[in-house]
Formats: sequence, C-alpha cells, structure tokens
Amino acid sequence: MSAANDTLAMSPAAEPSDTAPVTTVATLDPVATAPADAHADTHESTEHAGGEAHAKGLPQFQTEHWAGQIVWLVIIFTILYIAIAKMFAPKLRGVISTRGSTISEDLANARAIRDEAEAQAKMSAEETAAAHAAARKLASDAKTKAAAESAKVQAEEDAKLNALIEDAETSIRASRDKAMAYVEDIATETASALVEKLTGKAATKTALKAALSKA
Amino acid sequence: MADPLHQFQIQKIVELPTVEVAGIPIDLSITNSVMAMIIGTGAVILFFLFATARTAIIPGRMQVMAEGLFGLIDDLAESIIGDEGRHFFPFIFTLFLFILSLNLVGMTTYFTATSQLAVTAALAVLTIGAVIVVGFARNGLGFFKLFVPSGVPWWILPLIVVIEIVSFLMRPITLSLRLFGNMVGGHIVMKVFAGFVVALAGLGIGGVVGAVLPLLSVVALTALEFLVAYLQAFVFAVLTCVYLNDVVNLGHH
Repeated sequence: MSAANDTLAMSPAAEPSDTAPVTTVATLDPVATAPADAHADTHESTEHAGGEAHAKGLPQFQTEHWAGQIVWLVIIFTILYIAIAKMFAPKLRGVISTRGSTISEDLANARAIRDEAEAQAKMSAEETAAAHAAARKLASDAKTKAAAESAKVQAEEDAKLNALIEDAETSIRASRDKAMAYVEDIATETASALVEKLTGKAATKTALKAALSKA
Repeated sequence: MADPLHQFQIQKIVELPTVEVAGIPIDLSITNSVMAMIIGTGAVILFFLFATARTAIIPGRMQVMAEGLFGLIDDLAESIIGDEGRHFFPFIFTLFLFILSLNLVGMTTYFTATSQLAVTAALAVLTIGAVIVVGFARNGLGFFKLFVPSGVPWWILPLIVVIEIVSFLMRPITLSLRLFGNMVGGHIVMKVFAGFVVALAGLGIGGVVGAVLPLLSVVALTALEFLVAYLQAFVFAVLTCVYLNDVVNLGHH
C-alpha cells in the first residue's frame, strides 16, 4: 500500500519535468546546467532522497506544496466569508431578532390583556360592591321607612286610643264625682235619719255637714 | 505497519499549471488538501443554504442547528469584544466554521487540511493580519499603544515593550502551531493505535485478544479527536476574539 501510494505521490511531481520544463523543484536545482543525463540522475536521486526524507519527516514541511495551498485557502476562505457575511449571517440575525421582537411583542400583548382583564375584574368587583351597597341602602331605607310608617301609624292609634281612654276616664271621673256627690247626700240623709231615730229630733244641716266633713 | 505520517502527504488530484508570482512558483493544482477545503466549505455552504432557505420564527431542525452555531459565536464575540463584536462576527464565524469543517472532514471522510502547516499558518497570518488592519483602521498610530501598557513604571517600560512586541509576534506562530499540532498529533496517535490493531490481529488468536486493547483505545481516541476537532476550532475563534478585542477596545482597559 505504501509503495503504491509513493509512486502515486511521485508521479505528478515527476511528470511535468518530463513533458514541460515548468518551474518545479527539479528545475530550481542549482545543478540545472549539468549535462542532461547527469541532471536526470541527480533529479532521480533527489526525488528518491526526497521521498525517503518525506517518509521520515513530516510531509507538511514540503514547502513546494505551500504556495498552492495558501492561494486556494485564501480563495475558498473568501468565498465562505462572502457567503456568510452577505447571506447567512444577516438572514440568521434577522430571524433571531424578529423572533425576539415577536416574543417581546407577544409578551407585551399578553401583559396588556392580563392588565385589562385585571382592570375589568376590579371594575366588576367594584360594580358588585356598589350594587351590594345600593341594595343594602335600599333595604335599610325601606326598613326605616317602614319603621317610621309603622311608628306613625302606631302613634296615631295610640293617640286615638289615648283620646278614647281620656274620654272614658273623664266620663268615669264625672260618674264617680256624681256618685261621690250622691254619697254625701246619702250620708247626710242617712246621718239625719240615724240622728232622728236615735234622738227623735232632726239634726241641723250645718251640724251634719260639720260631722261629715270631720269623718 | 503503514507509515502514520503518510496520511499527511499532499497528493495532486487535478493537475493545473504552475504560475510564478514575484519569483515564487505557485502550483495551482487541486491537491487533496485543497479538495478537503472545497468539501468542507461546500458542506458548510450547503448546510447553511438549506438551513436558511425558509427561515421561520418557529425554526425547523436545520435552522435550530444553524442558529445554535450562530448564537455560539455571536455570544462569544459579544462577550469578549462587546457591542462592536457584531462587526467582526462574520470573520470569526467564517474562521470557526472553516476550521471546524476541515477538522471534521479529516475526522470522518477525507484528508485533514488543518494538519497542514501551510493551512494553519495561512489562517493564523490571516487572523493577525485582520487584527493589524483593524488596529490601524481604528486607532491609527495609536495601535502601537498596544505594546505600551498603561500604569507601568517608566523604568520597566523598555523591558515590557520588548516583551509585548515579542508576544504579539508569537501570536500567529502559537495560533498556527496549536491547531497544527493538535490535528497532527491526534491523527498520528489514532493511526498508530489502529496499526497496532491490524498488526496484532494478524498474529493469530492470541494477537486478536491483544488487539482488543488498542481497538478500545482507538474508539476512545476517536471520540476524543472529535472533541478536539470542535475545541480547536472554538479555541481559534476565542483567540481571534481576544486579539481583536485588544485592538478594538484599545485604551479602554
């Protein structure tokens, strides 16, 4: 495997020197002015020595491959750079920032809606409280009104009844006074009758009165 | 046993002419290293093309992955550099994805381009070059304040300045060698242990039993190397952020 690859590796380097006298490592050789066969020999031996040196050292130090790699690297790197700087990075940054703004917008919307809902909840609570208060007031008003009315009615009734009672009392008092007056008369009569019976002679009216008032 | 270093050998796939620029011959042939870069970068571009084809507020699976990578580097740049980090994000993100894709191509299918010193050195020089360009563009000649930390007694300054300059010059070297060394070392170790498995298993029944241990090691090492592949790309991105922060926020600290 190693041998086959070696020939593969060497053949491209060896080919140009056969076909075209381009600048390869071989033609840069200081012994380029030497006779043709000798040159070929040195070329062969340097190639060989080179190959062996490659086998021992790191192939990365074969500086003849450097320039081409660096030129290609700059070209390819530039292409990638342009693709990223002009297309991919702006697109990704755009979509990420759009997402960020969308999310913050949605959050703001949600927050606004929540605030609104809270405000509405507060408002409806206030309305309920107000309705409660109104109902309570209405109830107490009705109660006081009813109480006042009933008190008024009662007062009227009381007054009426009191008047009746008063009337009755006055008529009773009148009857009693009358009766009392009769009682005095009766007492006087009784006393005069008693005195007449006991003494046989009628007592004077003044004496009777005095006795009665003493009693 | 197969040569564990052979995996790093550059081989040409498509032969292209060599041009000479300022006396330096540049062989433009598509080598396996270049091919790995094409595959890695192509995969990254394809992935992001699909992931961002229909970007939605509620993302699909691919978009989540793409946004995860995006957010990782974006947060990194912003936390290290600050608000200015956004300007440098494409560069840092490109570096990260480029290195990560090359590492993963090397781990999964093909050649490891980041095990080539030329590649890592070019990336490091690119990064430090960007730092220097940004430094001069932002601060003009004030860029050199980078080497003169404030609050240092004057008699120590000559020494400090020399140390600062040397450490600045060391940055591209450490950047390139860290990535290079990690990838090379990991791949060599995996190859060596895998070679043990084959070599021991070829010895017969006893060898097969003996091959179990290196086999388990290879499995464990492969897991570790995937971690390293990600970590090194991330470390490169972090250090790029740190170096950019030095020149962007020069004098703010």
